[in-house]
Amino acid sequence: MARVVSRSIMPRHPSLALAGKGIAFRLNPVTKLTLVGCALLLAFLIPGWWPPWLLFTALAGFAQINRLLTALAKKLLKIILPLAFFLFFIHGLFYHQASAPLTLAGVDLSREGLLFALQMTGRISAALAASLLFVLTTPTADLMLALSQRGTPAAITYIIGATLQLIPQLQARAAAIGDAQRARGMETDGSLLRRIRALLPLVLPLVLGSLVDVEERAIALEARAFRVKGPKSSLHELPDPQSERLLCRLALILTLATIVVVWWG
Amino acid sequence: MSLAEQLKKDFSTVTLTLIPVAIVLNMVIGQLASAVKLPVFLDSIGTILVAILAGPWAGLLTGVMTNLIWGLISSPVAAAFAPVAGVIGLVAGLCARAGLFNAWWKAIIAGALIGIAASFTAVPIRVYMFGGITGSGADFITAYLLKTGSDLFGAVIITVMSANVPDKIASALLAWGIVRALPERFRFRFPRAEKIAIASR
Repeated sequence: MARVVSRSIMPRHPSLALAGKGIAFRLNPVTKLTLVGCALLLAFLIPGWWPPWLLFTALAGFAQINRLLTALAKKLLKIILPLAFFLFFIHGLFYHQASAPLTLAGVDLSREGLLFALQMTGRISAALAASLLFVLTTPTADLMLALSQRGTPAAITYIIGATLQLIPQLQARAAAIGDAQRARGMETDGSLLRRIRALLPLVLPLVLGSLVDVEERAIALEARAFRVKGPKSSLHELPDPQSERLLCRLALILTLATIVVVWWG
Repeated sequence: MSLAEQLKKDFSTVTLTLIPVAIVLNMVIGQLASAVKLPVFLDSIGTILVAILAGPWAGLLTGVMTNLIWGLISSPVAAAFAPVAGVIGLVAGLCARAGLFNAWWKAIIAGALIGIAASFTAVPIRVYMFGGITGSGADFITAYLLKTGSDLFGAVIITVMSANVPDKIASALLAWGIVRALPERFRFRFPRAEKIAIASR
């Protein structure tokens, strides 16, 4: 149901956000989004293999200040390890190369390929570290609130909020349908054909059942003047200090200046 | 009808309440498909559904929001592929407008078109942001193609397409089946319902 977005009413959302007291937790979510954007630009637009790693080190240091380094490392390694393995494997062995190969234990490795893999691993690590720092420190309720305070259309914040509330509901419904079909003797393993046939009696009731509420919710929204234009008051206000807006502007200018200098300086 | 008018008609309140449900269906059906170990992702059925019922723009928004929210609550990697999910919704909506969701065999064509468009959007992101790597077994195909002389771009597009085209065909067929199974009264609450209703009888 559509309701005033506030922390007290919000049920347990699926969210990666942790509790903490560091500066990263206190910044306005929009400020953090801007900083993440700057980090992404710097990670991907600066040539060379070491700048992304420098950025990554800075981000890891910032995580440490906020006592987030362990949590960040855990999440990051899970994503980056398979990527790094294939990056070094594929580009080390099969990169189109200009110079003589680097022979290691009888295997020809490409110098350029390894450097490319090192650069890409650095870029992905830096980008992931920045984005993970954002999601680890930003409760989804705060994000929605900050977005609507900055004038994001209510439709967008409604979509985010409703989605987060629906995820546990639909997962529970899917589990219940699965139990019911299994009780009737449906098999969920076996040959490919049997598994495809197992999916249909799960998917159709799930979709049709969850669509039933759609109309009702639309009526509820319209009855509460969801479509009315103009600012709406909220029970909670997020701090949005002038100093942070200045910080955002400064970060953007510095980032763009760095990129311009590196490319054309 | 001008674009502004069309958008206003497409994004009715019912469309708006359908989109979150569709996003969650993307996620949950995707999880079901991997739970029963199917070789396809099936994580864009909701997006295609919205595209058929409410047009390409609503489909685009559904796709983009799916990946952004997924990035927020699961892994930021998903957010990098938000443009791909958006293109899936956009192309599915255009296919629906051209009447490609009127019969099961046309839905297969729509699925193939969606898969090809999605692949061409995914490849630059794969190559420039991830060095051509997915971090899964599919990377061995890329390695093999590189070994046999393809360049990275060509190798990645073949890898991506071989996964995406069958997946989108299966998704389009399922979405077609779901739209047909919807009660007519419910279907006609949506802005683009006329397009499919006649042909499904």
